[in-house]
Amino acid sequence: MPHILCPGCGHGIVAGALLRAICRLGLDQDTVAVVAGIGCSSRLAGYLDFCTLHATHGRAPAFATGLKLARPDLHVIVITGDGDGLAIGGNHLIHAARRNVDLTCLLFNNEIYGMTGGQLAPTTREGGVATTAPYGNVEPPFDACRLLAAAGATFVARGLAAQPLVLEELIARALAHRGFAFVEVLTDCPEFHGRYNRLGSGAAMLLGQIRATAAVEAHLAPLASTVVHPGLPPVRPPVETGVLVETTRPEFGDRLRAAAARWADAREDHAP
Amino acid sequence: MSLAVHRQTVPTRGVLFVGVGGQGVLLASTILGEVAMAAGLDVKKSEVHGMAKRGGVVFSHVRFGTEVFSPLIGLAEADALVAFEWAEGLRWLPYLKRDGLLVLDLARIVPPAAQRDHRTWTVRYPDLDPAALTGHHGPVVAVDARGRAMQLGSPHVANTILLGVLAARLEFPTALWEEVIERCVPPGTAAVNRRAFHEGRTLEPCALTWAQRWTPPQGVPGWRVAVATAWCKGCDICVRVCPEGILRPDGRGAVEVTVPERCTGCRLCEWLCPDFAITVHSRPAAPAGVAR
Ligand code: SF4
Ligand code: SF4
Ligand code: SF4
Repeated sequence: MPHILCPGCGHGIVAGALLRAICRLGLDQDTVAVVAGIGCSSRLAGYLDFCTLHATHGRAPAFATGLKLARPDLHVIVITGDGDGLAIGGNHLIHAARRNVDLTCLLFNNEIYGMTGGQLAPTTREGGVATTAPYGNVEPPFDACRLLAAAGATFVARGLAAQPLVLEELIARALAHRGFAFVEVLTDCPEFHGRYNRLGSGAAMLLGQIRATAAVEAHLAPLASTVVHPGLPPVRPPVETGVLVETTRPEFGDRLRAAAARWADAREDHAP
Repeated sequence: MSLAVHRQTVPTRGVLFVGVGGQGVLLASTILGEVAMAAGLDVKKSEVHGMAKRGGVVFSHVRFGTEVFSPLIGLAEADALVAFEWAEGLRWLPYLKRDGLLVLDLARIVPPAAQRDHRTWTVRYPDLDPAALTGHHGPVVAVDARGRAMQLGSPHVANTILLGVLAARLEFPTALWEEVIERCVPPGTAAVNRRAFHEGRTLEPCALTWAQRWTPPQGVPGWRVAVATAWCKGCDICVRVCPEGILRPDGRGAVEVTVPERCTGCRLCEWLCPDFAITVHSRPAAPAGVAR
């Protein structure tokens, strides 16, 4: 410390919420494993005093699946970003969800590739400016929560960096969930996304989240997607927050171990 | 005062129940209405529950007699006022006849709007002082209903205690009250409500409680905001979220606390600092220095 993230980057707030949630559940430091990919968000793993594993770009869910199978006693947390988890590692993420591996995945969505210099991400809003989209993005963005719900995640929630207490609660519930738990956190990247799109400082971007949420709560959703007040930065279009999916399904490791036991029995039966 | 139930024509009487919400004002008035109906009278009732705590009103008008035309009690027309809270009692006193019966719970529930300073908890709230009732000539029965309810094991039966106080001064048969209370209260609470009702019937006005005045809760904690300037990146988030506006850039890339004693300990700065640079301590200053 101090960490390498830019001034006003909301990632640190999310890390704080994660730490408070772990502390609230009373998890033992040695039973928590954090697996991170590549990117600004994934750099946070380097500051956490748990069992941490810094994986290759996009492959954190795959590393985490292996870790969880080898050590079912660990609470395995995947920290990933929108570029890491939804573009380069999109396949690993959806298949971990499909298999319902008992992981907690925290996806930091700041609508941009921050660490590599502000390239277009699969979550950049339409019309948003990025290094690789200087005239504005023409692609529709992913809705990460709906994607993961469709892929089979048994817990899906979305929170805001600007609401650290709600976020703490969502993460705590995700940690307590058995099966693949996915929490998307809308955070900010003032350095690239904010600067290119004239969204103001990190503080302004976070306050924009609050204003958008307040507008949605006051049934002014159409207003929230444009500009709430002239002179204030435009805010991200309103999206649903809170717990969006919570169900149960057999967990991958359990099924694999049961199957392995059946095969072992079958082998013994046929032994000469 | 006599509210006797005669076989002949009974003149219409009015009882006004007032509170701040959540104390069972409406249930108490329903019970009185049911009792009067069971006694063969015509009853009309009108209520508003608008959260007095938030500046609204919570009251229930009950009028009963041989023939009742309007449910509403006009100014200075109530034969009895049952106030579930001291300030509410003062607020509705003009509706009571000058010689009417005033039943008061000495509970004090200070509304947020009465808070003058949320840090020191200074409030503007009327003193618990009998002098505030000068001009009222009827009987006053002030009791500590909430305190007695707690002793009975349930804060929720304060309303039944107040009903007991009222019932002792009306002339409906006790058995009728008991039967109606049993029917109206939530399942499983009949026994404690019956005890509360009898407690109220025999409760003597408590003179001691009159001497009490509002005192703010003691031990308002002092807060200390520690900024780890070495970690702070001057991002401005805490400066903009602090409701007290006491954080400001120190001109060297970090922030400083301008008026430390105005901190309310809300912790918004701590939770929203992305750099773990602010810690709000609930105890007065430890030796200088901040988190490692
Ligand atoms: S580049 Fe963006 S996401 Fe990365 S640390 Fe800076 S502000 Fe945060
Ligand atoms: S929020 Fe944290 S990093 Fe930002 S100015 Fe305040 S103390 Fe410094
Ligand atoms: S805790 Fe922080 S945000 Fe809250 S009043 Fe104190 S300095 Fe301001």
